[in-house]
Amino acid sequence: MKISVNVNGRNVDADVEPRKLLVDFIRDDLHLTGTHVGCDTSSCGACTVLLDGVAVKSCTMFAVQANNRNITTIEGLSKGDELHRLQSAFIEEGGLQCGYCTPGMIMTSAWLLSNNAAPTEEEIRNGISGNLCRCTGYDSIIRSIQKASSDRRGGRK
Amino acid sequence: MASGLQFSTLNTSVSRIDLNEKVTGSLRYFTDMRMDDMLYGAVFRSSVAHAVIESLDVSSARSLPGVRAVLTYRDIDGINAYGGLVTEAPVLVQDRVKYFGEPIALIAADTEELANEAKGHIRIRYRALPPVRSIDDALSEGHQKVHDSGNVARHLTVKRGDPMGALSRAPFVLEREYRTSMQKHMFLETEAGMAYVDEKGIINLFCSGQGAYWDRRQVARTLGISEKMVRVVNYPEGGAFGGKDEITIQIYLALLAFKSRKPVKLVLSREESGAAGYHRHASRISLRMGVDREGRMLASEAHIYLDTGAYQTYGPNILDVTMETINGKYRIPNISVDGYLIYTNNGMASAFRGFGAPQGNFALESMVDELAIALDMDPIEFRLKNLLNDGEVGPLGATERGMKGARLVLEMARSSPLRGLEARSPLPWIRNGVGLSFAVKGVGYGPVDDLSTAAIEVLPDGHVRIYFSNADYGQGINTGHAQIVAQKLELPVESINVIHADSEYDPDTGSSNASRSTFTGGNALLLACDSAISSLGAEAAEALETTYDRIGYHGGAFRSEDGREITIFEAASRAISNGHPTKFTGTFKMPRVERPIEGMHEAPKVVNGYAAMLSTVEVNLLTGAVTVKGVDFYVDIGTVINPLIAMTQCEGGIIQGLGYALHEDYRYDDAARPLNVNYTTYIVPTTQDVPPIGVHFADTREELGPYGAKGVGEIPIVPVASSVSNAIRNAVGVSCGELPMDPTKVLQCLDRRSSGTSRHVYTGF
Repeated sequence: MKISVNVNGRNVDADVEPRKLLVDFIRDDLHLTGTHVGCDTSSCGACTVLLDGVAVKSCTMFAVQANNRNITTIEGLSKGDELHRLQSAFIEEGGLQCGYCTPGMIMTSAWLLSNNAAPTEEEIRNGISGNLCRCTGYDSIIRSIQKASSDRRGGRK
Repeated sequence: MASGLQFSTLNTSVSRIDLNEKVTGSLRYFTDMRMDDMLYGAVFRSSVAHAVIESLDVSSARSLPGVRAVLTYRDIDGINAYGGLVTEAPVLVQDRVKYFGEPIALIAADTEELANEAKGHIRIRYRALPPVRSIDDALSEGHQKVHDSGNVARHLTVKRGDPMGALSRAPFVLEREYRTSMQKHMFLETEAGMAYVDEKGIINLFCSGQGAYWDRRQVARTLGISEKMVRVVNYPEGGAFGGKDEITIQIYLALLAFKSRKPVKLVLSREESGAAGYHRHASRISLRMGVDREGRMLASEAHIYLDTGAYQTYGPNILDVTMETINGKYRIPNISVDGYLIYTNNGMASAFRGFGAPQGNFALESMVDELAIALDMDPIEFRLKNLLNDGEVGPLGATERGMKGARLVLEMARSSPLRGLEARSPLPWIRNGVGLSFAVKGVGYGPVDDLSTAAIEVLPDGHVRIYFSNADYGQGINTGHAQIVAQKLELPVESINVIHADSEYDPDTGSSNASRSTFTGGNALLLACDSAISSLGAEAAEALETTYDRIGYHGGAFRSEDGREITIFEAASRAISNGHPTKFTGTFKMPRVERPIEGMHEAPKVVNGYAAMLSTVEVNLLTGAVTVKGVDFYVDIGTVINPLIAMTQCEGGIIQGLGYALHEDYRYDDAARPLNVNYTTYIVPTTQDVPPIGVHFADTREELGPYGAKGVGEIPIVPVASSVSNAIRNAVGVSCGELPMDPTKVLQCLDRRSSGTSRHVYTGF
């Protein structure tokens, strides 16, 4: 099936098998391997991308469902060498260890902050509860997201 | 942080501290690798747990178009076995399957789909044997044997003093049985890798692993080739926790690439990783301890059974650690410890963060807490009273050292705001409690030889390359080692380039395991730095027209007495023009105990980390649900090299421990088939399960460690289950004595309390 998608600001026309998962399209066809696969059951969230600005688990969608829509992956979050504030905050607060869950965690957080510029800790916990991390224990991730949200508001609360 | 050279797939491997690459998605993990013309690997595994293979026919799978290799045990030219300590597990089963998911054949095909499809064309006929499903089952009358030698893989006894006599004379004796469950590592990236044979005939393996050299040895042994013909790269990878310490996919990848002469990629599916990967040993421990009226520990008798599954791998070492942990660092003059490693058909147990310590700690610290209550002593003071001092001989015969840190963490715990928390819920069905536990985890292997070699290379361009084979699977050892070298050479950490775990470039620093990398690798790097400073100092002295004893080294430069300077990089440049080396190695020998116990490989240890943990819980009497409300964690890891990384290691280890304590429960059914192999059925903690955690580092210094550091990887998980269990007992007056303490078990335990049948109810002596 022919699809036309906008990926990280770039228009892509592709011919994909109807049963191809969006995550496989992103990783295998577009070679954007920052979107990871930790399971095949939409449990871990490592494959999270933004579809028209909304966080989706790309292992649970077909590529054809993204037809005529905008996809943002982790590679599209930074502007050139300039990191997105979430990316900087994850570095500053040490919100990762092995880093395998990180792209999905950051994409989910980006969606969270786009809906709620100043989430409470509880809102952050709820917001990223569909993303698993086995290394950090989450606290440093939550601190990273808090840091990114306070940076946007021009200072820490 | 500035990004260094990008990691380039399948090329030499210069990389710097990797946060930037990780947050931008540019870091290529093994699952992300691809090569032109690569094949996809798959593993045909047993669909039964225990059976004799009556026939195996792979001819039809082999003849499928696009299938490039189907390998069985017949295709193994070397030794068809692997195993860290005991080389026993077949790489590919020949005649008898001993666990569900055991590898029988390997496939390489043009596409992943075809590789998986080919599995369906393999014809196999089994003659079923009854599965051995548990320790109890394995030891029962007329039991089926997993191995012809029987189900006791190993039995070791350690005895000091007169435990039976002391127990019979002790005024107070407590006896309990404890059981712990299997825990899965559930790293986010499954076991994965890529292999290809290069033009020199060397098999290049880019794969999950924790020790490149150890993997290389095992791969070469099975392929029947020289170790020099194998290169192993272990970076970057998405988590390990011990689950990638033993061989996983390395030998399969090497065999497939070697036989097909094509690059091969192999990624285990989550379910495959769940079923065929490793897990923490389930345990059954009976413990009897005697104390006197003043609260002095007099004697202890322990019988420890660990379920190692179908093969031993690191089981004997893990049993050693449980046997060490069961008496902790308490002054117990009379001890008896019987350790048994038991074969079952429950997959393969192996290394997991803590390495046998969490099981022993759960039993010991649950009992110590009960003893304190029975004696009406404060739990901290009771432990402090019985802690060994430096110079005293510990339970396994080692002369103790570094016990100040052990004391300090307990003393620090006195001031935790969680202590004496009198919060009482107004809801009659809610009970609150607070629990304390104390933990020990050794650094390094203990009694066996452990040499670590590392190297540094000073480049004229203002960088220092550092070489070591410790794998950075997320814990941050690359950064830690860079910091140690930067500190020693007084250079900004940005000027240090890490040549990450790669057997082609790095000397053998040993594996990333046993909380040893910072200690052994860091010390080896410091020795290499010493060598660099003295050798390049000689170059500098010559340049400054003085002698070596008349120059100093500060801030990356050698300085003469009259204040002239030459940087270490300029000195390196001079060394190059003089034809002198600019790369220096250092080899560190881990100190061993002076009196090892015969038959023990992993205990006792010379260097140990200590922790005290307080947790508060809320127990719902109606549902049995336990919520951990707060954690205070006091830990002695010596000097903290990187507080942020160390704190994150602690938080992560504690959360993994809370999962182990409360809900993680890897199980097998009656046919010994695994029941919960993915994230939907095996539940790991989410953000919703995490209480506020206070991590407090003791201000200590380990004199043998690099800059006084020890190791942080494992100690955080060790006290968690016992601390939570003690908090539950504090809340409801009864201990579960069994992990995980999920609602079902807690309700059963509450029922036993009501009916007065619990052996774990405290009633006084």
